[in-house]
Amino acid sequence: MTTLELRHVNKHFGGLHVSRDITMGIEQGELTAIIGPNGAGKTTLFNEITGYITPDNGSILFDGVEITGAEPENLVKMGIVRAFQVASLFIDETVYDNIYLAALAFHGKNGNIFTNRQTYKDVAEHCHFILGRLGLSGKENLKAFELSHGDQKVLDIAIALTMKPKLLLLDEPTAGMSPDERVKMTRLIRAIHEEFQLTTVFVEHDMDMVFGIADIIRVLVHGELIAEGNAEEIQKNPAVIEAYLGHEVL
Amino acid sequence: MNNKLVTMAPWLAYFLIFGSLVFAGGDHTIHIASQVIILGLFAIAFNVLFGTTGLLSFGQAIFYGLGAYITGMMAKSFGGDFFVWALLIAPVAAITLSVLLGALSLRLSDVYFTMLTLAFAQLVWGICVKWSSFTGGDDGIQAIPKPELLAGGLNYYIFSFIIVTVCIYLLWRLDRSPFGAVLKGIRQNPTRISFIGLNVFRHKLLAYMISSGFTAVAGGLYAGIDKSIHPDMFVWTMSGSIILMTILGGMRSFFGPLIGVAIFILLEDVIGRSTQYWSFVIGAIMITVVLLFPKGVVGISRHFAGLFAKKGGQLDNP
Repeated sequence: MTTLELRHVNKHFGGLHVSRDITMGIEQGELTAIIGPNGAGKTTLFNEITGYITPDNGSILFDGVEITGAEPENLVKMGIVRAFQVASLFIDETVYDNIYLAALAFHGKNGNIFTNRQTYKDVAEHCHFILGRLGLSGKENLKAFELSHGDQKVLDIAIALTMKPKLLLLDEPTAGMSPDERVKMTRLIRAIHEEFQLTTVFVEHDMDMVFGIADIIRVLVHGELIAEGNAEEIQKNPAVIEAYLGHEVL
Repeated sequence: MNNKLVTMAPWLAYFLIFGSLVFAGGDHTIHIASQVIILGLFAIAFNVLFGTTGLLSFGQAIFYGLGAYITGMMAKSFGGDFFVWALLIAPVAAITLSVLLGALSLRLSDVYFTMLTLAFAQLVWGICVKWSSFTGGDDGIQAIPKPELLAGGLNYYIFSFIIVTVCIYLLWRLDRSPFGAVLKGIRQNPTRISFIGLNVFRHKLLAYMISSGFTAVAGGLYAGIDKSIHPDMFVWTMSGSIILMTILGGMRSFFGPLIGVAIFILLEDVIGRSTQYWSFVIGAIMITVVLLFPKGVVGISRHFAGLFAKKGGQLDNP
């Protein structure tokens, strides 16, 4: 079953054509990497899928339902959730409260004005589960700004996971991380992908990681989807070698 | 640490200070205290927008003035017994107006929002001054009648104290509620709020309505202190004073705005007795606080409390 389908999606920023007639179908349960040089339009593609910007034309379907131009908050409710290239956190709040806020939203408690927020047991359990699963237990009382860069990225993903996504989009999950943190993050992504039965799309520059864990790799160059396939196919694809890799990467 | 005690300490201080005045305060003190609690409510309600949600409205005087004029004009027209009812109608009217103004201004960001709220407030002030046949114009409205029971400074202070306390308690609950947590989230990262599935505009609008409603209650209560109201309650310096007092007290703390109001009014009273240049002195104090302690008076006390706590608290956090 196709979870996410893009049909002839185009987007211009002034004279710049950042999405060129992109058509692709992402199957349920797929772990997809989107790669491409800087400025290839990867983040723009994420922004279009998650409703942050609307494509000029073309359509985007989620589980067969047209979602082109829908607001981010409605897409989140449908199960499309993302993490950001620069971790997007509530920086003055504790780790726990970052997740708590997402859990409140997920459980629909956000409009409760005069109840004490500590009274929701289901929300608290949800938070502790996420904290434990992502290895943030013990850090829950630290403020988000006190975390290491790597942990901030993990917290960003934790917030996304709290929303129980069907489709999880990760924008450069290992950007700026130490080699150690990269390995951990790579394992984490593979693990949560299976455990939470997600369809996962991630943008990445680290080729070891991409070839290591992605089921399918899609290559964007100058806004155009030039290739898709598994690691072996991509590494041997002449167009990819020509336009992006420059030389065979093995 | 005794968490409950820490949360309740400000309330304890609040009741000790403002409650004891009922028994110990002279006429002048009661008059000052009435102003402090009423403007304190205004400032705390304002801070729901400013310190909590990160929205700097420069036009909250619009709802303060509206509350005062609705209460004053109704009591004047229908008699003193209507005063208390008018106090209930004032917030309803303010909330209605806030939906309209909020829908127009809250989609704008930062400085544009601030400017538009300022423009609305000045517009209403202009109407209030010019439409003298209805509003009394520059002179405002004098000799506003009140019910027998509320005559006299002390009785009115007790009445105001009860209403203000209930309002502040409700706002305190809001500050600690899920909705309050969302508002703080909006201040820090509105984009993330959208991406956890929440509509930023709707939450902002609700905050704006709530803030405006409580502000109108404060305005309505003010109409009863001196039994007179004037168009200056709408003017931008009124909104500006509340912003200053909130910053002085500390906008990141729930009771900070009330503390700021108390300090401001006390200084005005004490310094005003000895020099006509009191506003110069207050200005100098403001600049000092803002430059040295951007977190306000509450920030100063937390700073020193922090220094003190570090000496003994090492064992808990090695």
